[in-house]
Amino acid sequence: MLPHIEYLLPETLEEACRLLAEAGDGGVVMAGGTDLLVKMKAGGVVPRLVVALGRVPGLDRIAFSEQGDVSIGATTRLADVAGNERIAYELPAVAEAAADTATPQIRNMGTVVGNLCNAAPSADNAPCLLALEGSVSIQGPSSLRELPLAEFFKGPGLTALSCGEIVTRVVVPKVGRASGLSYRSLSARGRVDIAAAGAAALVELADGVCCKVRVVLGGVAPVPLPVPEAAQVLEGTEPAADRIVAAAARAAAACTPISDVRASAEYRRHVVEVLTRRALAQALERAQANAGRAS
Amino acid sequence: MSDLIGTSVSHPGAAAKARGAALFTDDMTLPGMLHGRLLLSPLPHARILSIDTSKASRLPGVKAVITGSDLPRVSYGNWRLFPETQDEYGLALDRVRFVGDEVAAVAAIDRDTAVEAAALIQVEYEELPAVFDVDAAMAEGAPLLHDCAGNVSVERRIDYGEVDKGLAAADYVREDTFTVQAQLHGYMEPCSALARWEPDGRLTVWTSTQTPYIVQCHLASTLGLRENDVRVIKPAVGGGFGGKMELRSWELCAAFLSRLTGRPVKFTLTREEEFILARRRHPMKLRSKVGFRKDGTLVAKDLQILLDGGAYNAMGPTATFLCGNFGAMLYRYPAYRFWGRHVYTNKPPASAMRGFGAPQSLFVSESQMNMAAGELGIDPIELRIKNAMRTGDVIPDVATISSCGFIESLEKVAEMSRWKEKQADCRPGRGIGVGCYSFISGGVFNWFNTQYPFTAVEVRAFADGTVHLLTMASDIGQGSDGVLAQILAGELGLRMEDVRVTAADTAITPQADLGTWGSRVTLMAGNATLDAARQIKEELFGALSARYDLNVIYDLECRGGRVQIKGGKKDKSLSFGEAVALVQRANRGKPLVARGYYTPRGKGLVTPAFSFGAQVAEVEVDTDTGVAKVERMWTAHDCGVPINPAGVEGQLEGSIHMGLGYALSEEVVTVNGRMANASFLDYKLPSTLDMPPGESVTIETYEPEGPFGAKEAGEGLVSPTAPAIADAVCQATGYRCQDLPITPEKILRGSSGMAFGPSAIGRTSHPADEEEQG
Repeated sequence: MLPHIEYLLPETLEEACRLLAEAGDGGVVMAGGTDLLVKMKAGGVVPRLVVALGRVPGLDRIAFSEQGDVSIGATTRLADVAGNERIAYELPAVAEAAADTATPQIRNMGTVVGNLCNAAPSADNAPCLLALEGSVSIQGPSSLRELPLAEFFKGPGLTALSCGEIVTRVVVPKVGRASGLSYRSLSARGRVDIAAAGAAALVELADGVCCKVRVVLGGVAPVPLPVPEAAQVLEGTEPAADRIVAAAARAAAACTPISDVRASAEYRRHVVEVLTRRALAQALERAQANAGRAS
Repeated sequence: MSDLIGTSVSHPGAAAKARGAALFTDDMTLPGMLHGRLLLSPLPHARILSIDTSKASRLPGVKAVITGSDLPRVSYGNWRLFPETQDEYGLALDRVRFVGDEVAAVAAIDRDTAVEAAALIQVEYEELPAVFDVDAAMAEGAPLLHDCAGNVSVERRIDYGEVDKGLAAADYVREDTFTVQAQLHGYMEPCSALARWEPDGRLTVWTSTQTPYIVQCHLASTLGLRENDVRVIKPAVGGGFGGKMELRSWELCAAFLSRLTGRPVKFTLTREEEFILARRRHPMKLRSKVGFRKDGTLVAKDLQILLDGGAYNAMGPTATFLCGNFGAMLYRYPAYRFWGRHVYTNKPPASAMRGFGAPQSLFVSESQMNMAAGELGIDPIELRIKNAMRTGDVIPDVATISSCGFIESLEKVAEMSRWKEKQADCRPGRGIGVGCYSFISGGVFNWFNTQYPFTAVEVRAFADGTVHLLTMASDIGQGSDGVLAQILAGELGLRMEDVRVTAADTAITPQADLGTWGSRVTLMAGNATLDAARQIKEELFGALSARYDLNVIYDLECRGGRVQIKGGKKDKSLSFGEAVALVQRANRGKPLVARGYYTPRGKGLVTPAFSFGAQVAEVEVDTDTGVAKVERMWTAHDCGVPINPAGVEGQLEGSIHMGLGYALSEEVVTVNGRMANASFLDYKLPSTLDMPPGESVTIETYEPEGPFGAKEAGEGLVSPTAPAIADAVCQATGYRCQDLPITPEKILRGSSGMAFGPSAIGRTSHPADEEEQG
C-alpha cells in the first residue's frame, strides 16, 4: 500500500526544482515511477512530496547535436531508447541495454535517466553510458551543472545529486567511427530479472590497433565499476584472444561482489569474467565491422 | 456418445474474466463493511508473554482488535478423522511457531486504518530456539513445536513383497539421497474473505477457496454453530493449486470480527503476506534404494522420506501418504517398502500443491531410473517400457489400474522427440532427458470424515429447453464449471448455452462436495452429473414413450435438443422442452429435478483411476555461466477420454510452467526463518518468456470408472518436468542434480571441466537483506 503523499505535476523545470528545494529531505523526483513507487510501497522511501516530471515539456526528447553527441532526456522511456533507430545504428549497445532492462511493461513506463538516478549497482543502462564517458546535466534551484557520469554514482542508491537538483538529461559524446560497444548481462534465473552481473566494453580501433578501450562492470561493486586496468591490457595493442582473456581476468579481480538472493559473490565474480570476455569480443567485432565500413 | 464430448469448448466464465467483469471476493463491498488486517509473528519461534492492544483500539476508525484468547479455543485441521492431527488455531494462543504465524487481527473502517492499527499492537515475545530443517528438528534435544516426540507428527509405512531378500539378490542396486525444495503456488488472486454475521444469527462468508464445504464445517466447529447455519459462497477464484483448501485464519477472523462489530468484515492478503505465510509444496529429504536384475527388471525398492512440514500439519498427512503411494507407481516393483515421516519445523506450513507428493517422490524414482539406465547400459525409455505398469495391475490397498496408456506414452514421446537420434547427438552443452508420471483422479481415503457423498449435484430441467446444474464442486480457474456443463449438455443432447451452472454456495448447492483437489472433480462430480442426467433422461424417455405409444424395447436418445427414437423416425420425437413439459403435466406440475451422487467403491483406499504419461526435455546449457535453457518439451499423456481438449491443453501448459519453475528457478530463500525473496521479482516463477515451445499428444484410453471414459489431466504432469530436465542437464554437463532446483551455480560447481571455485556457499547463510540492488 502507498503511504499518504502530496503529488505535484509542475509544468516547468524551475518550479519542479523550487518545490523539491522547499520540501528538503521529504521531496523526491519521479519520472516513470517504476523504481520509486515500488520502494514507497515497501516503505523503503517515505517521501512527503512526490514531484513528477511528466508535464515538464521537452524532457522526453532524444536529440543529436551537430557534432553527433546524443542526449537522452529525463523522461525518455526505456522503450523509446530501445526503439530509436539512430541510437540502434550508431550505439547499438545503448539500445540493447535499454531493451535488456526489465519487462515491456516497465520499459513503457521507466526511463533511462531514472535507471541511472536509482543508482542500483546493477542498473542495466549505466555501464554502457559510463564506457562512452557520458555526463549528466543537473538543474538545481539556481544553477545548471554538467557532471561526468563517472562522478555521479556514490554507492548503492546514492548519487551526487543534492537537495532540489534534477537530472534533466544524459549526454553521450560521439564515438569514433571505427569503434564498437557491447553490453552483456546475466540474471541467474529467468528472463524477467535484475541483472546479477553485467559488463560493457568499448573498443576503438586505429590502424588495426586498439587505441581506446573501456570496460565497465555492473552488479559487482557498490557502484557501476569502470575497470581501467582491464582496458589497459588491450589499449595500444593489436587485438588478440589471449589479451581479451587477460583483460577479463583483471575485471574479475577488480570487482567486489556481494552474495544475495540473486547470486553468490563467487558466482558473480565468475560470471563477470565471462561477460567481460564476451562483451570485449563483441565490441571488437563491431569495431572491426565499423572500421571496414568507414574505410 | 454425444458430439459435444471431446470437442474444445470455451469456458462459460471466460468472457467475464477476459473483460475483467468476473467478481472475485475482493471485488465485493457490503454496506458498512470493515477492513481486516492480521498481525503476523516476526519471529520463527517464541513464547508470547503479553499482547497490548490498547493503542491499536484507541486509534480512530478501529472497531475491534482480537487476539488468540478472544477466539473460541477450538483447534481445527482437515484430517478430522484423526483429531490429534488438528493442531491449528485461528490466532496464536501462547506461542508463535513461524515468521508469519497469525497473532492478532484488527477490523477498521478502511484498509489504511487497519494497517496502522495492526502496527500499534505491542507484543512481548520470549524468543525460543528454532529448527529450520528436518535433521535439526529430529535431533536429540531439539525444541518441540507441539507435543510430538522428535517433532514427527505423522508416519506412514507401506510394505509388500520381500524387499530385503530382493535387494540382496539383485544384480544391481543403487542407493541415492535427494533433497527437494519448497515451491509456492503463486496463484494470481491473493486470498480474500468477506464475512457477514446475519441478523438472524447465521453466518455468510464469501471466500477464495477450493473447498467451500470444508470451510463451512470448520467455521461451524470453531464458532460453535450448526453447519447449516454457516453459508459459504465461492465467487470466481483466481487459482488455488492446492493452496486454498483449508480453513484459514482470515476466514475465521472475518467471521468472528463480524459477530463482534455487527458489520461485514473483509480481509484480503497482500502479495507479500502471501509469500510469507501461504501454504507451499513440501521440501523433503528422500532416500531410495532400488534393485534391478542385469536385464533391467526391477526387483525391489526401499523408499524413506522426511517431509519438512513447517509449523502445522495442514495437508501434510495426505502428502505423507501420497508420497508412499506414488513411490510404488509407474513400474512393477515386486517388493516395495515405504517409510514416510512428517516433521514439524519453524517454517510456514507446507500443504497440498499440484501433484501433491508426486513431484517429490517421482523426482527420485525417475532420476534413479535414468541413473540406472546409464549404468546398466539400457536406453532409459526401454528400461521403463520393460518395467511399466499395465492395465489390470493391482497393488493391494495402493492401486487398481483399470486403464493405462503408459507404454504407448513412452513410445509416442520417443517418436515425437526423435529420441534415439537426439541421444546420439548429445554434446557438451546440449542434452535430452526423460521423465514420467502417474497420477490419481481424486482420493478415496476419507480423512475429512464426511458423512455426505464425496460429491453431489442437482439438475433441474425446464420446459424452455434449459437445465440448471447445482454443485458444490469448485471451479477455481481450472475449468470444472465448463467440464460439468459439457458432460451434462453432452448426455442430454443440449448445447453449452442451455446449461446454467451454480457453483458453489453451501446454502443452495447439494451437500456436499469435498472440493477441488487431487484432480477429483472431472471424474467424481462428472459421475454425479451423469447420474443425475440419466435420471432426467429416463423421465423424458417415459414421456416420449407414452406420448407416441412406443414399443418398450425401443432405444431412445437425447440428441440435438430433441428426445427421439435412436436411428428412428423424427416425426415421433419431442423437443427437450416439450418432453420436460409433458413429464411435469404427467406429475401435476411437480418440478423435474434429479440428484446425482458419487462415492468411489471397490477401488482401494487411494483413487478410483490412474493416469500416466511421459515427457522429454531438450536442454541447452551455457557451459561458461551454467545457465540452462529448456529448448523444447515433448509430452505424451494418457488422460482417458478428454472431455474438453482445449482445457487439457491449458492444464498441460500450466503444468510445464510449474514444473519448469520447480526444476530450475523457484526457491524460498530464508534468513533465520524469514523469507528473503518475498516478491515476484526475486521468487523466480518463470514468465511467459521462459516457456519452452513444445508438442503434446494425448494417448486416448477409456477409463471405465470415469464419465465418458475420462480421468485426471494436467495435475500429474507437473511431476515429469524436473527429472526430465535434470537428466538433460546431466547429459549436457555431467552434473546430476539430486538437490533441486538446478541453478546455474550448482551446474557450474557440479560439472566436470568447468572452472569454478570449490567452496560451496550456502546461500541461505548470507545476509540477503543487506543487498541494495533494486
